[in-house]
Parts: sequence; C-alpha cells; structure tokens
Amino acid sequence: MKFVGIVGSNADLSYNRKLLQFIKTQYQDLFELDVVEIKDIPMFNQSDDQTNSSPIQNLNQKILAADGVIIATPEHNHTIPAGLKSVLEWLSFKIHPLENKPVMIVGASYYDQGSSRAQLHLRQILDAPGVNAIVMPGNEFLLGKVKESFNENDQLIDTNTVKFLQGVLEKFVEFVRLVNRLEAPKEEPLPKEDLHVTGTIDTTIKEIDMAAEDWVEQAAAKVNAVEGNTYVKLNRGILTVDQINTFLASMPMELTYADDNNQFLYYNYTKEAEDMLADRVPGQAGNPLALCHPERSLSSVEWVIQQLRSGRQDVVRVHVPTHGPDKFVVHNYQAMHDEEGNYKGINEFILDFKPIVDWYLKQTGLTLEGDIDAGSGASQQDHGVDAGSGASEKA
Amino acid sequence: MKHFIGLVGTNSDQSTNRQLLQFIQTYFKDQATIELMEIKGLPVFNKPKDRIVPDEVKVMANKIEQADGVIISTPEYDHAVPASLMNALNWLSYGIYPFVDKPVMITGASYGTLGSSRAQAHLRQILDAPELKARIMPSSEFLLAHSLQAFNEDNQLLDSSQVEKLTGLFADFITFVDLINQLIHAHGSNKKAAENFSWDNL
Repeated sequence: MKFVGIVGSNADLSYNRKLLQFIKTQYQDLFELDVVEIKDIPMFNQSDDQTNSSPIQNLNQKILAADGVIIATPEHNHTIPAGLKSVLEWLSFKIHPLENKPVMIVGASYYDQGSSRAQLHLRQILDAPGVNAIVMPGNEFLLGKVKESFNENDQLIDTNTVKFLQGVLEKFVEFVRLVNRLEAPKEEPLPKEDLHVTGTIDTTIKEIDMAAEDWVEQAAAKVNAVEGNTYVKLNRGILTVDQINTFLASMPMELTYADDNNQFLYYNYTKEAEDMLADRVPGQAGNPLALCHPERSLSSVEWVIQQLRSGRQDVVRVHVPTHGPDKFVVHNYQAMHDEEGNYKGINEFILDFKPIVDWYLKQTGLTLEGDIDAGSGASQQDHGVDAGSGASEKA
Repeated sequence: MKHFIGLVGTNSDQSTNRQLLQFIQTYFKDQATIELMEIKGLPVFNKPKDRIVPDEVKVMANKIEQADGVIISTPEYDHAVPASLMNALNWLSYGIYPFVDKPVMITGASYGTLGSSRAQAHLRQILDAPELKARIMPSSEFLLAHSLQAFNEDNQLLDSSQVEKLTGLFADFITFVDLINQLIHAHGSNKKAAENFSWDNL
C-alpha cells in the first residue's frame, strides 16, 4: 500500500516531520510512505485561485494516487496551523483529492496535550462537505512532550509508544482496505445473456436449425448467399467473395464472428481443430454460443458478453499459458459496434504474437526483462473465464 | 466614545463579513468608532526562529492594543475558521500579545443556513489559547445566514429582527468592555503567562 504523509507544519524544525519520518522507516513493512511538505503552498485566497500552480497540483496528484493519507498536525492556538488549514482549503475549493480518501491523524506537541484540540478540529475540517475525507475513527495518536520523545537518531525512545503506534497503523491499513471496498463503484447486475439464442434479430436467418452440421449450406440456400467471384461492395472497396476469403484466411490469427444475438456465424477456417490454438470445427458455424462451449464455462462466456454489450469493457483479453513457453497466446474478445455505436457482437481473435515480439526484439536489439511466466494471471481469471474452452468441446 | 477594531476574517475580495462589519460601522457610528482591519497579504506563519513578526503585523498589533475592543467577523471554510484568519491570529500571538484580556465580539456571515456556527465555536477556542487569551463576550452568537441576500444595495441589513438582535449585542458589548476593564486582577498574570509561554520551555 502507498500512503502520503503530510507534514502539517511549515516550520524548519518540526517534530511532526520527525514523527512521519520515523513512521516511514520503522513501519516500511506495513506500507510505503511518501512524506510531503506544505511550505510551498500559498495562503488560500478565494479571489486569487492558484489551484493550477505546481505545488498544489503536485500534492493533488500524490494524494489522488495514494491509497491513504496520514496527516501529522501540530497545535497552534488550540487549533491546526494556518498553513495546514490553507492547504486543506485549496484541496476543497476547485479540486477535491481527499474525497473518500482514508485519512489518519497523528500529532506531536511540545506539551502534554499532544495536539489534542488540533486533532479534534482537524477531524471536523476533514468531515466538511468540500473535503469529504474518511477519517479513521478512534485510534488517536497524541505524542506529547516531544522534545524528550526522540533519541539523537530520531527514533522514538519509548518502546510502548512504538508498539502502540504499530497497532494503530496496522488498524489504518485494515481501515483503508475497508474504505476501498465501501467506495468501490456499486455495479448494477447486468441483464442475463441468451446463450441458447431463443430469439432472433434482423439478420438472423430464420427457420434453419442452428445446431445443424450443414447450417452454412442450408442458410446460404435460404438467403441466396453470394459466393465465388461475385463482387461485394465494402467500406471501402470492392472484393469478390473469393478475395474476401483469401484475405481473411491470410490473417495471422484465428478469427471468429459471433453476432449480437449470441450466434456463432463465422470463423476463418484454414486449419483443422487439432492444429488450432482454440479448436473450431466446420459444423459449428451457426451454433448458439451455448452449444459450442462446455456447460461449466457458460457463466464465463456470459460474463464476457455482458462486459462487451454493456460497454464496461471494450475488449476482454485472456492470457493462455497452456501452449508452453514457445508461444505467447492471447484470446481477445473485441466488442463490435455499428456506425451508430450499437453493440453488434464479438470479434474474437486468437493469436500467438511471439513471432512478432521475437522479430521486433531482433530488429531493435531490445530484450525482454524478467521471467516470461510472470506475465500470467490476467485479472479476468478472477471471473473464471475458461480460455481453454474450445469450440469442439461440445457439452 | 469607544473605539473598536473590526477584523475582517477573510482575505477574499468579495466578503459578506466585510459587508456586515461595514454595516456595523455605520449603523452604530453614534456609539463607537470602528476601524476595519484587513488580513490579506500576510505571509504564511512558519514559526520563525528569530521571532520577528512582519511590520504590517506590528502595525495591526499596535492598533488592537490601542482599541477598546475587537469585533471579528468570520466566514466558515470547511467547518472552521479560514486559514487566512488563523494565520493572522498566529502572527498576532507570536512574541506579541495584543489580544490578552482584549474584549472581543464574534460575528459571522455565511451563504448557507448555518451562518458560520462551527467556525465561531472554533474561533472561541482559538481566542482562548494561552498566547491570545482574549476576553470573548459570552452567550452572544450573531449568525448571519444566507448573507448574499441579507443586504440591500445601500448595504443595510434587510431583516429588522437581525438588526434588533445586533443592536442588543452591540449595546451589551459596550457594557462588556466596561466590565472587562474592571476585571483587571488577573490581567498581570495573564500577560505574564502569555509572555512566558515558550514553545521550547514546556
């Protein structure tokens, strides 16, 4: 986890800075801490907007990128320093990087109180609608009498304090995880997919058994499909059907077309199933998608289609390491859309792109770094997308 | 006649708190003279080791010392006092102590419904800190809500009940100043406590 630690003081000597630096090194196994300073941030003035100045933008970017923020505040006049308040005002004016960000407050002070009043004010400030941070409740860390608290190596002397701080920080790490779950976008469940193709769309060739081995022949006869050297006008050009076939057969990948009715209409048939990366057989053309996948992988197939139809993802990729180290095989499920942007189905293209990578490395003298196997584990695996489910594995 | 400082609690060019103080200044001109004081342009307080405060702060401190009381009108930013006002108070309590035992009345205006209620509560705590130790008039909130709609083009408060309330508070403040001036017994020790307050000797 990555946190930003804001030094709440702009003074040259600050025990709050020392405290954050101690946290950074002492607890580096728990998280990574980037200690940032506020002394270059100007005084907030709503009539003189400096939101786009680089000190404010730098801080903005760091906070946005962080999993959580730790603010260390001193206490001046029973409240937080004006400099820290000014920073928070900038960060709640035109930009709101602390919104829904988990925040933990710590504080050090010269006297017994350990910034107790400042911390309470800071909680109220962070809770204001423009700031809207999510401050960890309880778990106050007040470091009083700071001048006696650190040794000459800037280490906290009291072992109980070190242990207590460890406990509080561990809780904060847990708190960040919790908040992230709380704030994760709530995705509406997507409509079910009709993988058995019980309905039709405009382009469906009706009254032909989709499961038939000779669906292509039957359907072609039904609609008088053109073939051979008949010209077809395309965007942009004219080819004969033979030329289109030649063209598609030469594609260095296995192409499959499934329409938006979940019917498998076409694949560029050049190899027999056993020589393919994902096996297909000629008799499958025309099948509902439910028919050309095993039962156990239908929920994954549905998930992929839901992502593409809803637009949540434009392409779903799955890395398939089972072909061995001499191939880099990726299954790509690319959403297709018409000119109006309507979902039109899936362009599934499967390829081994290792020859391209090898050629490129040789040309440029570049090398691959690290273990190639380390690339496995695409996030889609979480959803159980069964990439190995070939078309021939009929249920 | 009493002389007060009206401290504008923001550095913004547009401020209904400034407007409110201007209204108080003219409306009560027969009862007190009020000089408005701005806080714009002060450097960000950074606890300089040499304890030298900027010249403009010294001028402000001097005027506050001379005045019979201070009226602070604060907006509310993020549930609290604006940084610019906190900053002015940080400087005005760093090696100089113009606020110690100074009678203070707090007012506030806000665009919304709450009229800076939380900022005023914070400001009371702040003014109670050892190096400020002002004498804040108790039980005397003046919250001006929806302040953008509160004044007419001649800068008069439109709501007569608000004017009535303010009139009462202002009369009380004048009495409060006289009262505080009799509470002199602790002044010496308060002043001493502020002066002896040291960040390093605690």
